Amino acid sequence: MIKETIEITNKLGLHARAAAKLSHLANTFHAEIHLNYNTDRVDAKSLLGILTLAASVGNKITIEANGKDEKKALGEIVALFKAKFNEES
Amino acid sequence: MNIRMMKDKDKDQVSIEIKELIGHNDFEILKVYNEKWLTNKVLHPRIQKPGLALAGYLKYLDKDRLQIFGNTEMGYLKHLPRPEFEARLSNFMAARIPGIIVSGNQEVDAYIIDSANKYKTPILVSNLRTSLLMSRISTFLYRFFSQKIRINGVLMDIMGQGILIQGQSGIGKSETALELINKGHRLISDDLVEFYLDSNDEPVGRSIEKIRNWLEVRGLGVINIVDIFGVGAVLEEKKLDLVINLEKWDPKKKYDRLGAENLYAPILGKDILMFNLPVALGRNLSILIEAAVKYYISRKNGGRSFIDHLNKNKIIESKNIYNDDDNNNKEQPGIMEEK
Repeated sequence: MIKETIEITNKLGLHARAAAKLSHLANTFHAEIHLNYNTDRVDAKSLLGILTLAASVGNKITIEANGKDEKKALGEIVALFKAKFNEES
Repeated sequence: MNIRMMKDKDKDQVSIEIKELIGHNDFEILKVYNEKWLTNKVLHPRIQKPGLALAGYLKYLDKDRLQIFGNTEMGYLKHLPRPEFEARLSNFMAARIPGIIVSGNQEVDAYIIDSANKYKTPILVSNLRTSLLMSRISTFLYRFFSQKIRINGVLMDIMGQGILIQGQSGIGKSETALELINKGHRLISDDLVEFYLDSNDEPVGRSIEKIRNWLEVRGLGVINIVDIFGVGAVLEEKKLDLVINLEKWDPKKKYDRLGAENLYAPILGKDILMFNLPVALGRNLSILIEAAVKYYISRKNGGRSFIDHLNKNKIIESKNIYNDDDNNNKEQPGIMEEK
């Protein structure tokens, strides 16, 4: 199991479209991927789960991956956060 | 299983201000006295009807609990001679209880209000009769004070039973839920369920407000169950009876073939019976789940298991059942526990 904590930098935070992109990406991996925010922990492959976090800009989220392709999964998800979900120019 | 504590800090830290009770339509609060002290905190989910505490027996008066004044309390105070009435009341109020709720819209004597004010105690007057008021406030406070956890899974009401469907992402939980809803069963929550212990000390699952009534179906997006299936297709909360764990069919793994094993999922410290259902291509999950629930109901009502049937009809001695098992363990403790 590997994990990394990252700060949300896109203005709108983990809103519906960002959450959809995130769960879509998470679903392309075999590894189990979880997001931890405050005391909540949700499955990154579940759109509704991510939305319940209601995490916004500046909040810190810990991404956890566990499985065969965990390294690749964590790397790509962190990259998506850093790219602000490709929504801001 | 993904279980996480929401409030694992010191339990004593949790408290609720009296003013939180006023806005609730459930409690039908009509009047409020001594508003200054509405920020008093209740620290305990149990409420108290003071009864004998008003007669001077203060040993079991718990000053952290909300006090309910019913007809008995008010009637008793009223029948006392005035000087005694005032003395008893001051004695009682001096305990500095967080608040008093008077039931049945009874009139509150001016001295009671003054005395309560002196000891920083607010008084609320409810329209409800005592038993109803106590039951509603208890339910509310237990839900508030209970430890809560959020668990990944789908909670449904299937034939009156609260069923938590769990399993890895992508195994088809939501699609199965959709099929079950289509058959007339009710959805509590998709994806994430919040559990708390009710006043009966049993885990109750509740939908999370942000995603209440929504279900994600890959390919369709997130759909609103009430819009599509109507208000009868959803429920806000449900006591948990059974956990059904869907897992990928693994040919190497041994599944329960006789229904003789009991598995339990620990939820908020309570052991909930769990069935492991392997998922393979072509298995009809909604029918399997309905059958599992019916089987659970029959067992709960004392229905017999397959092993009982074999024993009773002397078809085969139960201890021989596992004889051709690869571990060759003739003693099978636990197999007879089922009766």
